Amino acid sequence: MSETTQLRVMDFDCPSCASTVERALSNQEGVEDVEVHYSTGRVEIDYDDSVADPATFERTIENQGYTPQPA
Amino acid sequence: MDTQSVKRYYRKRRKVIIVAVSGLLYAGGWTLGYLTALDTASAAILVLAAIVGGYDIAKTAYHEVKSRTLGIKTLVTLAAVGAIGIGSYWEAAAVVFLFALGSYLEGRTMRKTRNALEELLEMTPDTATVRRGGEQREVPAREVEAGEVVIVKPGEKIPVDGDVVDGESAVNQAPVTGESAPVHKADGDEVYAGTINQEGSLEIETTGAGSDTTLQRIIQRVEEAQEAQSPTESLIDRFAKYYTPGVIALSIGAYAVTQNAILSLTLLVIGCPGALVIGPPVSIVSAIGNAARSGVLMKGGEHLERAGKIDLVAFDKTGTLTKGETTVADVAGFDAEVSEVLELAAVAEKKSEHHLGDAILEAAQTRQGTVTDGGTTISRPDDDSATTDARSLPDPEDFDVVAGKGVVAHHDGREIVVGNRALLDERGIELPDEVAEYVRKREERGETAVHVVRDGVVVGAIALRDELREAAPGVAAQLRDAGIETVMLTGDNERTARAVAGEVGIDDYRAELLPEDKQAVIEEYREAGHVVAMVGDGINDAPSLATADVGIAMGAAGTDTAIETADMALMADDLERIPYAVTLSKATRWNIYENVGLAVLTVTILLAGVLTSYVTLALGMLVHEASVLAVIGNGMRLLRY
Repeated sequence: MSETTQLRVMDFDCPSCASTVERALSNQEGVEDVEVHYSTGRVEIDYDDSVADPATFERTIENQGYTPQPA
Repeated sequence: MDTQSVKRYYRKRRKVIIVAVSGLLYAGGWTLGYLTALDTASAAILVLAAIVGGYDIAKTAYHEVKSRTLGIKTLVTLAAVGAIGIGSYWEAAAVVFLFALGSYLEGRTMRKTRNALEELLEMTPDTATVRRGGEQREVPAREVEAGEVVIVKPGEKIPVDGDVVDGESAVNQAPVTGESAPVHKADGDEVYAGTINQEGSLEIETTGAGSDTTLQRIIQRVEEAQEAQSPTESLIDRFAKYYTPGVIALSIGAYAVTQNAILSLTLLVIGCPGALVIGPPVSIVSAIGNAARSGVLMKGGEHLERAGKIDLVAFDKTGTLTKGETTVADVAGFDAEVSEVLELAAVAEKKSEHHLGDAILEAAQTRQGTVTDGGTTISRPDDDSATTDARSLPDPEDFDVVAGKGVVAHHDGREIVVGNRALLDERGIELPDEVAEYVRKREERGETAVHVVRDGVVVGAIALRDELREAAPGVAAQLRDAGIETVMLTGDNERTARAVAGEVGIDDYRAELLPEDKQAVIEEYREAGHVVAMVGDGINDAPSLATADVGIAMGAAGTDTAIETADMALMADDLERIPYAVTLSKATRWNIYENVGLAVLTVTILLAGVLTSYVTLALGMLVHEASVLAVIGNGMRLLRY
């Protein structure tokens, strides 16, 4: 089943950082579509919940050096 | 303090702690090396400073490389490692510390910009008191269902969208409409989630709760607007695609020629398009956030940039410059009693559903026969409660609407014509001089007059007035001061239009326009080279709003179509927001130019400085970070515009 989740990252410090996070998330298995917005810090992820585990999204963002929060 | 809370404290402030520790180590190592001959110790401390400050940066760099992107963090890591490799410990520590400090400050200030909407989000209360099964219960606001009755006590925030079914109060709607003055609410009035009930207790029948409220839709719209790329942003993004590889090529080339590793690393660091890519989004997010808090929804950067070029604002007259509440100002009888004139007109207009017809009907139903000096006029009493003793008017046997001209009806064996001069001409009805004179006089006062004809003879005339909004003249003056031309578009006749335009102080007017003509007029102005904004109600004026470069809808709260179609939507019916919205757009456009200019200038100077060896790695980094912060700071000025 396709699901959508939203997170918020308030501490992006440059637009390319947001693109890097976007790429890292979209490389994850089961992720169908990702939008990461530098200007609002909004992260929207469409994923297949039989493959991807939403808990790993936050870890991926943390790995990139940013702090995810629930939207 | 137990370990748990220490850990939590560290996690929360990790970035500051890292920057501070790295900074202290850097200062210590540098001082040690400067004052003593303990070179090895100094070098060790400086390397430690670079490691502490650079660990997170290197980690992100690793992920950047892994996901095949080339970000600034990769470049900074390369520069720091390179500097350590050639023994420039001081430079390595400085670069890392400055970058970490800059990033921390950038993240922090951007958070402030991103939080501009937070206060709106926090406006909606979490719980609501509903009446269920005869008793009052407190439930989560998002679980209230449509049709349920919510009770809101004085001083409480309204938790849902709905209609008042009981009670009366003043409601502060600032969170939704930006209006500071409270609005009176009684039975049948619409209220919005997030607004504040000030005086009396209200019972509200829910129409929307949770994410299905006007406030939530506004917030969502504002976020979408902030996320949409402006033309300048897309231009810069396209440019950056070639720019970054260009900088890398330049740096490799510089190394090949000079064999100077530090020089080519410095080029990499200063060549990052930091301020350039950050500038436009910060300006736009700040401006859109500020506008949202003032009750102005802007659709996005593209529209905002275009709005910054507006040099002509066209206003629809009725309901925009005027209050849109037409009332009968005067009735004159010539071959008939005043009361008969009014009644004839009212019967003919009874089913017309035209706003002039509505006003005549209302006057006929509420009249008390107040006779003024000439003995031929009556005034409509202000007291609306008079409607209660209104006599019921007979229906006409048949009636025909002649679009833009009037109505022709039959009643009781008589033909009644109510309309303008064009309708009289069309039907070959003679207009007596005294009636023409009366009509001319009323029109010169900005009123609209209709003739009342009984069996081919003009027996009277009715003058109708739509009061100007108090703010209209001030708004026209403010726009003129900002160098913007103003035009009024109206279906009224020439004389009335001239009088109203004069009263408002508007530069120009176009009269006797049919709805589709308004669109053509806008097109005409655009073809003449103007950047045109059109202000209207967003529903009747939708086509002209769409034709204009920037369509501005007034009083959009509650009308989703207006919010959808307009480029800018004023949530309240508040004309005074127009100069604010237009000048904010202009300020935003300039702000973007300033930011792009500053960024390009900084990179150019730095590049020249590096190539002539005046700018070292650490200095380059300092100036680069400072320019990014300057650009963010400049953009954030728009939050306080």
